[in-house]
Amino acid sequence: MTHEHRARRFGVEALTRVEGEGGLIIEVHDGELADVKLRIFEPPRFFEAFLRGRAHTEPPDITARICGICPVAYQMSACQAIESALGVEIDPALRDLRHLLYCGEWIESHVLHIHLLHAPDFLGYPSGIAMAVDHRDEVQRGLQLKKIGNRIVEVIGGRAVHPVNIRIGGFYRVPSAAEMADLATELNRALNASLEVARWVAGFAFPDHTLPDGTALVALRHPTEYPMLGNRLVSTDGLDITPEQFLDHFDEEHVEHSTALHGRRLAGGDYMLGPLARFALNHDHLAPQAAAVAAEVGLGPSERNPFRSILVRAIETVHACETALSIALTYRPPERSFVPSEARASVGCGWTEAPRGLLFHRYEIDDAGVIGDARIVPPTSQNQPVIEHDLMHLIEHSLHLDDAALEALCEQAVRNYDPCISCATHFLDMRVHRT
Amino acid sequence: MTPPVTVVAIGNPYRSDDGAGAAVLARLAALLGEEPRVRLVELDGEPVRMVQSWEGSTAVWIIDCVRSGRPPGSIHEVDAARLGELDDQGARLGGGHLLGLADAVELARVIGALPPELRVVGIEGECFDFGVGLTEVVDQACSQAASNLAASIRAHPTLATVNKCGGGAHRGACR
Repeated sequence: MTHEHRARRFGVEALTRVEGEGGLIIEVHDGELADVKLRIFEPPRFFEAFLRGRAHTEPPDITARICGICPVAYQMSACQAIESALGVEIDPALRDLRHLLYCGEWIESHVLHIHLLHAPDFLGYPSGIAMAVDHRDEVQRGLQLKKIGNRIVEVIGGRAVHPVNIRIGGFYRVPSAAEMADLATELNRALNASLEVARWVAGFAFPDHTLPDGTALVALRHPTEYPMLGNRLVSTDGLDITPEQFLDHFDEEHVEHSTALHGRRLAGGDYMLGPLARFALNHDHLAPQAAAVAAEVGLGPSERNPFRSILVRAIETVHACETALSIALTYRPPERSFVPSEARASVGCGWTEAPRGLLFHRYEIDDAGVIGDARIVPPTSQNQPVIEHDLMHLIEHSLHLDDAALEALCEQAVRNYDPCISCATHFLDMRVHRT
Repeated sequence: MTPPVTVVAIGNPYRSDDGAGAAVLARLAALLGEEPRVRLVELDGEPVRMVQSWEGSTAVWIIDCVRSGRPPGSIHEVDAARLGELDDQGARLGGGHLLGLADAVELARVIGALPPELRVVGIEGECFDFGVGLTEVVDQACSQAASNLAASIRAHPTLATVNKCGGGAHRGACR
């Protein structure tokens, strides 16, 4: 980072504590903010092309490889899309197992983000490890909580990363009652720990900031559940659509400074995905203890400060523990581990709420069950435009800060979105140019 | 009983020699046979899972493919405190995206999860291209490293003080 006459040039060569490789360029001319670009330079990964010509049974395993943090999200969206194409309706007991598996991934992802990636910003440390020197008990508690998330994914998914037990129609194997009883015991402890984490995070000092006016919050909505496996997409400005209608309302475009496509609404205007959006649109479906602690820490549905997204993640972690515990306590091994299906020429769309937001899949399948076309729209690519515009809004009000302070604030703001660049390129070195 | 010895292999078998850790682990399992006092774990290198993989063990070995500038196939074994000797760029062991092996060791140290003995076995890699399969020189080194490790584990005082109770070396599936 350098500081030039009338020119402020910031550079973070590799923005840390985000998943993937990218950067941020901020242009300031004569004291006025000119531009903010989120540069993603991680190579494109071409997963959609890999899927063409493959069997319709393969996307849960192939797309799980897109991300080591949220493989379950890819598997669940892929299954939903292909099952929609084939007209498969899975048994309620199998859906419960999927819900439980997804709870495990939310716990893993949110707890990692809170403790090792984002909390250091709020507490003034350069890394999670440096923070752990002074906050050892809190970090240990977080790691134990993450471990139960891993354990859920292991028990249901067969292994903690890139699970292997997920198939179209259900699972290859369902867990035994004894395995689920062990999980329930661990989840009881995890729920208490998650409540402590939420109260700890609520004590952080949150920068005063709101999303730019007109930014729509977009998330799935389910009639009775906080949406991991929601069925309609809704927004704070009145959107309410089915998966089949997604591409009539949303698109992606290539921009020069990013190897990841940028999501956009065809109707125009910024939109934001992720915890803040989910909470705003679904707070009424939080599990009881999660809802109670949200009220206790003063989190309301009108929350629009992205810096408080870490608090929503903590509330969602409570919800995930509570939901998982409920499923584990009432579990009886299903009579069958999957619903059989037959290939047919068809098109199917599916979506679920990955920890970072909406993840959309669409597949075209022929009579032989071979995939002719695949489309995957991950949350981070959709959030890129709003990250840039949110940062512009933030920087416009923060240009009085010196370079180091502004740089730190921008990095913290990017982490509000917990971007997964590996997913989006399939992000961050930062520069601010002041001329 | 928590196995007193844990061996953790990290790396990506789909990037040629980066699969050296997994190869050593497989050969070590064959050499050790029935040995419940040794826990064998394959991981992708994510540090939190790495730290949690050795909970309760007093002696831990981590096997990884490294690039230190030494001849391909060289085998290095160092105490975790001397990790820097295994990497000439400071990047491989630092990880690509989130945190790496060095971070995992430091995280373990600050939260009090460092085992009494933590050693790192590095196999000098030659090829990190896409694809499955080791180069010949690294393949040979993996066999040698597995043999060395089996001998070290059998001779380790931690095992000598624990009663034998049958069963097989416990193979984790935490990849």
